[in-house]
Amino acid sequence: MSSEAEQAFLASAREALRRDPGIGAFAALGVWDLLDELADREARAATFAVFRAHGRELGRSAALGCLLAHPYSSALGFAPGSVALAIPRASVRRGDRLVLLGEPSLEHVLVDSPGVGASIVALEDVALQPVAIAGRLPVHEIAFAAEHAKPILPEERAKEARRRSRFLGRVAAAHEIVGAAEGALDLALAHAAARVQFGKPIGSFQAVRHLLAWARTDCAAALEVSRQAAALDLDAPSRFDEIAKALAGRNGRRICERSLQVLGGIGFTAEQDHHHFHSRVLALDSLLGTSAELTRGLGAWLRESRTDPRIPMRILHHGVGA
Amino acid sequence: MSKYGAPDQERQLGLAAYLEGLEKWLASSPPSLAAAAAPLASFAARVEVMSALMKALHEEGWGRHGWPEALGGLGGTILHRAALWDTLARHGVRGMGLFEHVEILMPTLCALAPREFMIQALPAFLSGRELWCQGFSEPEAGSDLASLRTRASAVPGGYAIRGRKIWTSWATYARWCLLLARTGTPEARHRGVTALIVDLRSPGVSVSAIEQANGTDELAEVVFDDVFVPEDHVVGALDGGWDVAMHILSSERGTFAWFRHGFLYQQLFASLRHAEPHGDGAVGSALLDLAAVSATGYQGLLSHAAATPLGPRAAFTKLLLCEAERSVHDCILAGDADLAAGVQDEETALLRQEYLFSRIVTVYGGSQQMQLETIAKQLLRLP
Repeated sequence: MSSEAEQAFLASAREALRRDPGIGAFAALGVWDLLDELADREARAATFAVFRAHGRELGRSAALGCLLAHPYSSALGFAPGSVALAIPRASVRRGDRLVLLGEPSLEHVLVDSPGVGASIVALEDVALQPVAIAGRLPVHEIAFAAEHAKPILPEERAKEARRRSRFLGRVAAAHEIVGAAEGALDLALAHAAARVQFGKPIGSFQAVRHLLAWARTDCAAALEVSRQAAALDLDAPSRFDEIAKALAGRNGRRICERSLQVLGGIGFTAEQDHHHFHSRVLALDSLLGTSAELTRGLGAWLRESRTDPRIPMRILHHGVGA
Repeated sequence: MSKYGAPDQERQLGLAAYLEGLEKWLASSPPSLAAAAAPLASFAARVEVMSALMKALHEEGWGRHGWPEALGGLGGTILHRAALWDTLARHGVRGMGLFEHVEILMPTLCALAPREFMIQALPAFLSGRELWCQGFSEPEAGSDLASLRTRASAVPGGYAIRGRKIWTSWATYARWCLLLARTGTPEARHRGVTALIVDLRSPGVSVSAIEQANGTDELAEVVFDDVFVPEDHVVGALDGGWDVAMHILSSERGTFAWFRHGFLYQQLFASLRHAEPHGDGAVGSALLDLAAVSATGYQGLLSHAAATPLGPRAAFTKLLLCEAERSVHDCILAGDADLAAGVQDEETALLRQEYLFSRIVTVYGGSQQMQLETIAKQLLRLP
């Protein structure tokens, strides 16, 4: 996709999500059809762009869980968008939890237990415990009786699906974090142009301008690495999904913090939208590996394995006429 | 093809074949490669080994890819050059040294300098024979480059240069200087500036090295006292020097980051030798910084290869490169306090030089604050 085509698609995805912030927008945009074409670079770029738009427009859908479920469920005849993966998270207080993101307007929940395999639970058999609405995104923890979980993939096959699911999920979450951080930055930019102090818009003061310029730089970095992960896909070097997710989480938080500083007190109120974007960034950072966990893990991996994490030149150049 | 799969003299290789052939040649352990991988604390010694490596690369054809055929190159794009330096970094070469100017100055000169001059000058630089420097900053014109005062006055057959340049990297080693001088009035600011190529062997040029805080002397002050420059050494249009400068700065800020970051990866790997688990977070964070340079820098390369200017977006890459320079060297320092303690064996002395330099990278090529202003004004459109 050319950058103009990408911008146009992003704009139409945002428009669709403004009309319907739920799962319907993903069907309307044809995302579920794209999931069967992820071998195609443009289909991937479009799919992940919708997640960026979902963050920017504070969408409420369970789409991230649906994308995470796709590698498990596609071969089993589940319609895309009808089943979402419950994302495991370790709570320091309450131990292992399963998290369902977005409006639970689904038929099934997919649960993957490493070492055991994947199973499916009908939504009606799941107890949904609302924990928060982080950035207008409903977050539930789920529980269900063991007899309701129907095994669908033995560990051997679930393992493959798990690897793919994590890659897609992390790259999509990274895009969504970027979108939400862009939303926070847009609010701060508008404020910097409109808010007058000392007789001038505060955006004319270098201290404020530089905060915003750093935030924009962090956006560019997180977006480019996320897009690169999407473009490389199966050709990406080991742990590139972790790099993209960690960078998006780290930069997303920094962008929100700098934007908040520019907004001042009004940014810390419930009436201002900043907190929606900020808390969505935090919520997405908490899943599929936090930026702190992933960053430390990447450092330990380098130290122990001395693996070269770079993208080989021949792969970088692939597709640009090499 | 030569025995290492080197290109025939007039044959351009596609990127995949280029990489494969280059790897084969490097695997044959050319002596110039081993020399360029050694830690050398002396800057003059580094100039020598890098010149020798450039000579070998030029002779074998690897250093000619990515440069215009009309100027003695073998054609191709900046992606060939990106592949060359990336591969050299992976094979242990410690940095481009003063051949950084190959990537900072030559793309602009190939596009805008007189062709007759470049037919000689490009191969002479690529083969390590005649080096370059960039005469931009002046004692009274740093971030405010448009206030520069070095003057080029018209004389029969050319121009006479009077003035003083400072922070001129590698002037001590250079044959040629790409100079910005005033041809219009001071009030004309950036519209009254012309870019000229000055032979530093000309009468009236004096170069004095500046001893730096990290012990090297790569910077210099250059005084021009009625130095004659022939009229066919003007780059771009008369009074059009600002466009030339912007073209160069777009390389120095945008594409150059990609060429530099491969060496930073190597330095991060080297730091792992002394790494402890408590430093894992810092190493991981430096890796993220490098991934950011890599991704934005590669977009810069693609823009350059497609001849679409990067414009103010180059400031992102420049800022990100500086962040990576600092975080990588923070990791090195965290694992090896010898360099802070002042230990003076060859390798530690070099690490110390590099560490201290990483604290000043936010100044050259447009300070960090100027980059932030570029973004604030041109991309964020702040008042």
